[in-house]
Amino acid sequence: MTTIGIEERAAIREGFARLLSEKASEADLRRTMASDSGHDTDLWKAISDMGIAGLLVDPDHGGVGGSILDVETIMEEAGAALLAAPLLSGGVMAVALLAESSDADLKARLLPAIASGETIATVAVTGDNGLWTRDDIGVVATAGWLSGTASYVLSANIADVLLVVAIAGDGVAVFEVDSKAGGVTIEPLQAWDPTLRLSRIRFDKVAAKVLAGVDSSSVERTLDLARVALAGEQAGAARRIFDITVEYLRTRVQFGRPIGGFQALKHMAADLLVEVESATSAARAAAQALAKGTPDAAALVSLAAFACADAFHQVAAAAIQMHGGIAFTWEHPAHLYLRRARVDAQLFGASAYHRDRYVSALETAA
Amino acid sequence: MNDVLSQPVVVEGDVAAEVEAFLTKHWDKENGRPRDADGRIRGWMEKVFEAGWAVASWPREWFGRGLDKDDARTVLAAFRKAGAPGAGQDRTNISAATLMTFGTDELKRGLIPGFLTGKYTNCLLYSEPGAGSDLAALRTRAERKGDEYIVNGQKVWTSGAHKADFGLLIARTDWDVPKHQGISFFFIDMRQPGVEIRPINQITGDSHFNEVFLDNAVVPAKNLVGKEGEGWKVLQTALAVERLIMGDGAGERRQGSSKSNVVSLIDIAREAGKINDPLIRQEIARATAYRQLNALNVARAKEEMAQGTSSPIMSLGKLAMSRILHTDAAVMTQILGAASMLDGADNERAADVNYRTANAYMTSIGGGTDQIQRNIISERVLGLPREIELDRDVPFRTSRAVTG
Repeated sequence: MTTIGIEERAAIREGFARLLSEKASEADLRRTMASDSGHDTDLWKAISDMGIAGLLVDPDHGGVGGSILDVETIMEEAGAALLAAPLLSGGVMAVALLAESSDADLKARLLPAIASGETIATVAVTGDNGLWTRDDIGVVATAGWLSGTASYVLSANIADVLLVVAIAGDGVAVFEVDSKAGGVTIEPLQAWDPTLRLSRIRFDKVAAKVLAGVDSSSVERTLDLARVALAGEQAGAARRIFDITVEYLRTRVQFGRPIGGFQALKHMAADLLVEVESATSAARAAAQALAKGTPDAAALVSLAAFACADAFHQVAAAAIQMHGGIAFTWEHPAHLYLRRARVDAQLFGASAYHRDRYVSALETAA
Repeated sequence: MNDVLSQPVVVEGDVAAEVEAFLTKHWDKENGRPRDADGRIRGWMEKVFEAGWAVASWPREWFGRGLDKDDARTVLAAFRKAGAPGAGQDRTNISAATLMTFGTDELKRGLIPGFLTGKYTNCLLYSEPGAGSDLAALRTRAERKGDEYIVNGQKVWTSGAHKADFGLLIARTDWDVPKHQGISFFFIDMRQPGVEIRPINQITGDSHFNEVFLDNAVVPAKNLVGKEGEGWKVLQTALAVERLIMGDGAGERRQGSSKSNVVSLIDIAREAGKINDPLIRQEIARATAYRQLNALNVARAKEEMAQGTSSPIMSLGKLAMSRILHTDAAVMTQILGAASMLDGADNERAADVNYRTANAYMTSIGGGTDQIQRNIISERVLGLPREIELDRDVPFRTSRAVTG
């Protein structure tokens, strides 16, 4: 399916990294996170102009026609920069769900607009328990009218289009809702990670259009794609905060020598390197398995989901301790990585859930 | 030869065709044995050696074929595919590779053929009771007497000592220079009166390793490898080959062995009726993930190295493996519960878990403890400052290793 080769992927990654270093520096991020919307329209336009918003959109609809391999690669860079943008919710999840639909008119209307960055879309999946399981869907569709609650929705505050997962009869369906439509109330939730915007959305008899051909298995496939994209973000972010920490160990002098000479810190660093490398391997292997549709894909997606979440959290948490007092200040970036790590660790299901799923996948294989 | 007609036509310089022709002619792929009437491996190894396939990248005058890296890889791949042993020893034969790098021409001619054909076997005389992690603090002495060195001291953790023809020995020849500079490297004949071998009883109940006592053992001066006092440098080459074997061979050994080292925690939990215990499932996931993540790391490192990118991952493997083995044993213990108190033939599962619990230390201590590995990773991969070594620059005679 993918039309992008290894070299082209590396070039896209390099271009994206350059864009982020120019337009999404820590100073830029701090400005964006302090703003009301948490959104940098210039940055998003630049990202979209590069084709990143339409990475998964097929060329017929104005996209790049990439695969999860490209998404995972890009997300490593996005994670390293703690990118604040509607990429995961729109460019990955919304596009993946729309691609599942059999409605050609719908695709022609939405996909080019998402790829160009004009339309911001997001996906509402889970209810107030935030489990991202079928049982936790909080919206019910009755004859095309939506009622109920969706929670922990990424970037809903700036979204034009909401794709809402709802219980419809015995099954699951997905509906397109205009974010400004009557009966839709978007309540901002204050997230511990100030670089992210989460919302709770209440639907009170909202007229909605069903996405033809999209069912519960489409939602599962989209969630798995999102988990691998998130795993890439976590792997990239873990590596960046690890590099920042090792650099500090080399240069911070106490007791007349760099603190990186103390075994207490050297040994922590060596153990964290294992975590960083493992996270990278897990995210990339899961992307490969999904792209090729290999039988071990289910196990590898679950593995990546908890291994990358846990690795990022472990590295970010240790980074503050290893820096000492300087990283206890708001001005130091380490806490921003811990904030992202703790929020990422809950998105699309927590580690305990994925560990159980991993064992189930292994049981099926055994 | 009944299959002459099926042999490929060989073009001079076409390595792939040449090695294929050699294998077709001499190796019975179907039965995994040499075609010779007696089918002995020794005879096969001699044929491989004589044809230059054993060390294909070495020059023709030194037992090889002068092949470049790619062609040498082609040779190795062909042998592996056929399931035939003997190729690729330029990278994996510790004795031959060390001799080739540092030995005199006389020594190379005298010993390398024996090691490449399997006529000679070796053992490693490195560690001592007082020189474990700090190997350079070794105190076994070799004193020059005419054309010989007289060796006195004690070595430890030597596997295969009783079967070995030669020991790769590091001993101190100069006590008045700093510790790394007074060491020399020898090939010592193990079959002599001054060499006594005693097995070590391990915490597993096995005895894989030995103590070797050297009491006025004799080494001809011509068996010195490298110059006197350059033994530490020679040792680094020997250790590099050893690490390569451990890194490279780990996967193959596992595939090759009839009884797999990889156990399924899921099978054990099913057997114990605990596969639906949510806490046990979490632990199974944690332990299995360590193993799978390590496999994914190794696969990625190989891919990156094939693309010419250097990868730090290989240096993490040993540390990762010791965590895998200790965690596996701990989770198995958790699954078995009270049954893990038992042992012996009547309690097969428990005995296996208990053995694994003890044997995991072989990986977390042997070949450099986890703590030494963390030093190495943080220094060599991450560029953090080296450990302070108090006796690095003083004459060894005045070091606390000697004075206590």
